Amino acid sequence: MPTVSPSAVHDVTVIDRRELAPGIVLIGLHAPALARVTRPGHFAMVIPPSGETAATALGIYEAHDERVSLLFFAVGKRTHELATLKIGDPLGVIGPLGNGFTIGDARDVAIVAGGVGIASVLLPAQRALAAGARVRLYYGARTRDLLVERERFAAEGCDVLVATDDGSDGYRGYVTELLAQTHEPPELILACGPSPMLRAVARTAGEMNVPAQLSLEETFACGVGGCWGCVVPLVRDSAQAPSFPPAERQGSDVVYARICKEGPVFWAHELRW
Amino acid sequence: MNTHSVDLSVTIGKLELPYPTFMGSGCYGSGEEFAPFVDLSRIGAVVLKSVTRLPRLGNPTPRLVHTPAGMLNAIGLQNPGIDWYLDHDVKKFAERPCAVVGSVAGFSVDDYAYTVERLAARDEIKAIELNISCPNVAHEGETFACDPRLTANVVRAARATTDKTLIVKLSPNVTDIAGIAREAEAAGADALAVINTVRGMAIDVETWRPRLGNVTGGLSGPAIRPIAVLAVYEVARAVKIPIVGQGGIETVTDALEFFLAGASAVSIGTGNFTDPRIPVRIVDELAEYLARRNCASLRQIVGKANVGFANPYQFEGDEG
Repeated sequence: MPTVSPSAVHDVTVIDRRELAPGIVLIGLHAPALARVTRPGHFAMVIPPSGETAATALGIYEAHDERVSLLFFAVGKRTHELATLKIGDPLGVIGPLGNGFTIGDARDVAIVAGGVGIASVLLPAQRALAAGARVRLYYGARTRDLLVERERFAAEGCDVLVATDDGSDGYRGYVTELLAQTHEPPELILACGPSPMLRAVARTAGEMNVPAQLSLEETFACGVGGCWGCVVPLVRDSAQAPSFPPAERQGSDVVYARICKEGPVFWAHELRW
Repeated sequence: MNTHSVDLSVTIGKLELPYPTFMGSGCYGSGEEFAPFVDLSRIGAVVLKSVTRLPRLGNPTPRLVHTPAGMLNAIGLQNPGIDWYLDHDVKKFAERPCAVVGSVAGFSVDDYAYTVERLAARDEIKAIELNISCPNVAHEGETFACDPRLTANVVRAARATTDKTLIVKLSPNVTDIAGIAREAEAAGADALAVINTVRGMAIDVETWRPRLGNVTGGLSGPAIRPIAVLAVYEVARAVKIPIVGQGGIETVTDALEFFLAGASAVSIGTGNFTDPRIPVRIVDELAEYLARRNCASLRQIVGKANVGFANPYQFEGDEG
């Protein structure tokens, strides 16, 4: 998935802040240089304004013209801090980072998003739609109120199919069950969400015999490939596997790839997790 | 005093650096990873990720967990082993616009001697850090750096293989770090890196499982800074060789604590994860601080918190 872009530290300004649902916040940034080079599936490391230790990795939700936006769940100290940003506040953002989605010439794309995994799939949806593909969004959340931005995806041209754990909207159950029920398998599946959902997507895609790209989430330290803290086991013959000695010298037929550097998007069939 | 005329250069063994900043081993890849975000010509040296005699896959995941004012890591020395490293990686280090310090870890005295000898023979490598204190590959946390005799044996064996600068990285997970430091100095260390991470653990109360695949990890970040400052202070009183102080440095104030405690240089590790611009900012603000305090050279303030003890450096124009 060769979409490496020139990345940098950007000093940007908050131009938009909206609470889309309880705890789910969208922060819009005036970030022309970042917007220009961001590709589908890229992420950013956000420098904590208070100086709190370690930047926060967030998927890039929108990138167009001079604007980049980030969409996240305020769950920890650092995301809570970002949730309190106000319009006009300065922010340091490192990005774009990672290797993103490759849509190629797929004509029928299914995108699976769980919770705030939705933050990483607008750009690939837009890219596929612009190329003339049919795009179905399978969107799951705990409950109806957390299905943020679903209208946005519909307005972009996606067919939106939703699932909720509590049945408050759409299919009652997991979004991957909804995907498995389709009578029209897509040519390509792209997914972002919690790890159990991604594992289910990988299984379902395998059963459907459809290639799937998964955007993985993990705790990052550096976010730029320097610390090897965010690895995932990958088959050695993957094009994304980092250079490492032959298996017989190492006693293992997998190799750890960095989610922040070789990923965060990997082919489901190449993961050995 | 003009900011631009302040001398920030340091000499660590035979290593002469324009700036007193090292990038901590294991935190900075080989420097290349951070090149888009920082001018590497404005840092002192990159300490590479540790290499071992044989390839290591590293620890199972998760390898990281964020904790208050820091983080726990247990990477487990993932590396391709010295053979592959020499053939594939080392030649790229010549391109770095800063000094490149190799880091060697091992599981026996012979491992260290073998790996140091081979790595130090390469021109791209300007000095060697002996990582005898990684808490994440040790049995029950015991490392070479936890035992004065083992420390001496490893340092002596490595010393016998190279004339290049040897920096020995000490563990805080000991009762008498000054005693270990003296052993390392007597065995031929040119400098000491103080400190490696502090052993720690975090538990997920929902799953009742440790939050690291390795169960235990090494704590870094501001949470350990006072532990590190004390360690530098105690080691500085015990040895004459220079100290590279490290542990939670994120600002010039943090760095100054280490210099005043007796460090000749500082190392930034976890701080790079907060903002990769921190090392250059520290250097700029250090020059401003020294100019404001009318110090022509950083060396003038090294160890000045050590009231009444003989500093290894005697400086020209030292007014302190």
